[in-house]
Amino acid sequence: MDSEDDMHDAYDADSLDDDFYSGGTPMGSEDGDADYDFVDNESEDSEDITSHRQQQNYTILNIADIRQHQDEDISRVSTVLSISREAACVLLRHYKWSVSKVHDEWFADEENVRKAVGLLEKSVEMPYNRELTCGICFESYPRAEMSAAACGHPFCGACWIGYIGTSITDGPGCLMLRCPDPSCGAAVGEDMINMLTSNDDKEKYSRYLLRSYVEDNRKTKWCPAPGCEFAVEFVMGSGSYDVTCNCSYSFCWNCTEEAHRPVDCATVAKWILKNCAESENMNWILANSKPCPKCKRPIEKNQGCMHITCTPPCKFEFCWLCLGAWSEHGERTGGFYACNRYEAAKQEGAYDESERRREMAKNSLERYTHYYERWATNQSSRQKALADLHSMQVEKLEKLSDRQSQPESQLKFIIEAWLQIVECRRVLKWTYAYGYYLPEHEHAKRQFFEYLQGEAEAGLERLHQCAEKELQVYLEAEAPMKDFNDFRTKLAGLTSVTRNYFENLVRALETGLKDVGPSSNQATCSKSSSSKNLVGGKGSKMGKVKVTGTSSRAAGRTLDDGNLWSCEHCTYANPRSVNVCQMCEKHR
Amino acid sequence: MLDTTRVQKELVECNRDTAISGVSIDLHDGANLTHLCGSISGPLGTPYEGGTFIIDIQLPSDYPFEPPKMQFITRVWHPNISSQNGAICLDILKDQWSPALTLKTALLSLQALLSAPAPDDPQDAVVAQQYLRDYQKFVGTARHWTETFAKIATVGIDEKVSKLVEMGFPEDLARSVLEAVKGDENAALEKLCSG
Repeated sequence: MDSEDDMHDAYDADSLDDDFYSGGTPMGSEDGDADYDFVDNESEDSEDITSHRQQQNYTILNIADIRQHQDEDISRVSTVLSISREAACVLLRHYKWSVSKVHDEWFADEENVRKAVGLLEKSVEMPYNRELTCGICFESYPRAEMSAAACGHPFCGACWIGYIGTSITDGPGCLMLRCPDPSCGAAVGEDMINMLTSNDDKEKYSRYLLRSYVEDNRKTKWCPAPGCEFAVEFVMGSGSYDVTCNCSYSFCWNCTEEAHRPVDCATVAKWILKNCAESENMNWILANSKPCPKCKRPIEKNQGCMHITCTPPCKFEFCWLCLGAWSEHGERTGGFYACNRYEAAKQEGAYDESERRREMAKNSLERYTHYYERWATNQSSRQKALADLHSMQVEKLEKLSDRQSQPESQLKFIIEAWLQIVECRRVLKWTYAYGYYLPEHEHAKRQFFEYLQGEAEAGLERLHQCAEKELQVYLEAEAPMKDFNDFRTKLAGLTSVTRNYFENLVRALETGLKDVGPSSNQATCSKSSSSKNLVGGKGSKMGKVKVTGTSSRAAGRTLDDGNLWSCEHCTYANPRSVNVCQMCEKHR
Repeated sequence: MLDTTRVQKELVECNRDTAISGVSIDLHDGANLTHLCGSISGPLGTPYEGGTFIIDIQLPSDYPFEPPKMQFITRVWHPNISSQNGAICLDILKDQWSPALTLKTALLSLQALLSAPAPDDPQDAVVAQQYLRDYQKFVGTARHWTETFAKIATVGIDEKVSKLVEMGFPEDLARSVLEAVKGDENAALEKLCSG
């Protein structure tokens, strides 16, 4: 292996890590060891490519971190206000865990705050009688067996257990528990809960307290991935809302939908709503209607016999069951309420569902369907890629390392490629929601958008193809193969190129397709000149591009245009005047 | 399980000063403490004056930690009580319930509700609207309903007494038993027969 390849690997790995895990995640943090010693040499070059990425503006918290943060906040308030930790906890919960708000309110009007949350200035002892009557069960007990909150209203142990237990069963409202006496608002804090109730309930209470710290706090949210126990603390007003949890799920901190950069939250919400509504419409139409065999309008049959006459101007008369012309029907086919031909044809399985679906798409839903299909296909393609990435990480990488006699640390480029594929599928998916809402009449924007999307998509297909299919050979090989290094160069190159395409796309969409900024302008221009060749006969019409995990688009096209040369690593079309690829920086 | 000791104590405590408080609680059927029957006398100076309102009380097994379920059996024209089914809109019967409250305090709250309707938080929108738009008409309807539905026991009592006398029971006894069961003929007959 020559050092140049190594450098590229190192560089790719480095910048990719930063891009996907803008800090805070454990993955990828260990690869700064011996194999990547020359990262420093390259760092300056990589700077300008990754310079646009954001500073880390969020922290992933696990359960222990959350507890620690909560404890620290409670301690802080308890110290500053000279009140017990339990009182501080009650106060913080009331003010949604905002330490500064607690301080402000407390120092502005302590008396009112105390009243609002039920903290008495002076605690009151229970009456000093030998026996006291419980205010709930009305039985008398020795004083020692009774307990009271700071207000001194005595209740017996069993009734406290019942009272606290009912409130905990009712939900997180138990965190604002007050003395059972209706005229008294004294707070019942965690100390009382721990002293008076069962272990089961104590545990539930402490869980509610922890959840409250995340859910009521304006700075934190749970990661919405199913079964994930991490929370994300976000620094408000600090740019991009996209966060990636330690569980590897990426989501938008603002709307908690999955990450949808470069599309904004409002568009995403609209799109998701549309998907529910439209898919229901679609389902209803499919379930309840058949298209007229002649004019294709959907027809709902709500009563009567099988002899259907379509509404004018079509007026076609047909059989509801077999959709054949009625002129061929009558007594011999079973009369008005049956159809022998239909029964016979059904036996042979002639009525297939996809056939109907295609017919349906001819109506007004066509445009939406077009975008939806592509959105959904990229979604499933991404799901597949995630699964592939996982299987790569847990088994295939080891196998490959075995077959090709390469240390696993040298195979990181494959993981990087898959991470890039997963990320690109995500972006690409959302660009279809973007495209759906891009006004038809803005031709220039649409063209530019479709061109960028086409470029990015084509690049991604090449990368996906390479990572999925071409790798297979090396996995199945009996002995190390000579051209494995070439494969490495190609895949790493494609990864880098694809990332650039997508960065362009994201940047363009984020700026509302106005201008792509001075740094990328040049790149876009040079690409524009070669666009026809790059996307080949497709003419960059996105509507026609079929998205699948393994498109047959071949990498490394030759170019007819004499003024350009196609990079053999990334297929980028470079001007004749340069000898180093402008995209992947490899020599001709 | 229902805390029967507490419910029994409550019954005794509540029925001790019925004459003063104007509220009482009876068992509905036999020894079943989960299903009770409350009664409120209409507060003086309101359209409900002179009426006796019967309330169905169901105790959940977690009582007193969960509130009792109460519903008017006697039909009543009131913004916070459904004129259709007698459902009650009162905070202490819902989220403001506290185990330190009792059936008696709840019934007293209902009595207070009869005196002081809260039309801004209505259970029955039709009644509430009338209360706000045409108060005189509201008072008229409420009074009519009280006369019609909350006084049946006393209205027809002479007729019922004479029926029982015909059957051979002494008039005084028949009258007092009838009054005790609030004019329910069958219940009175049962009581008289059982001795």
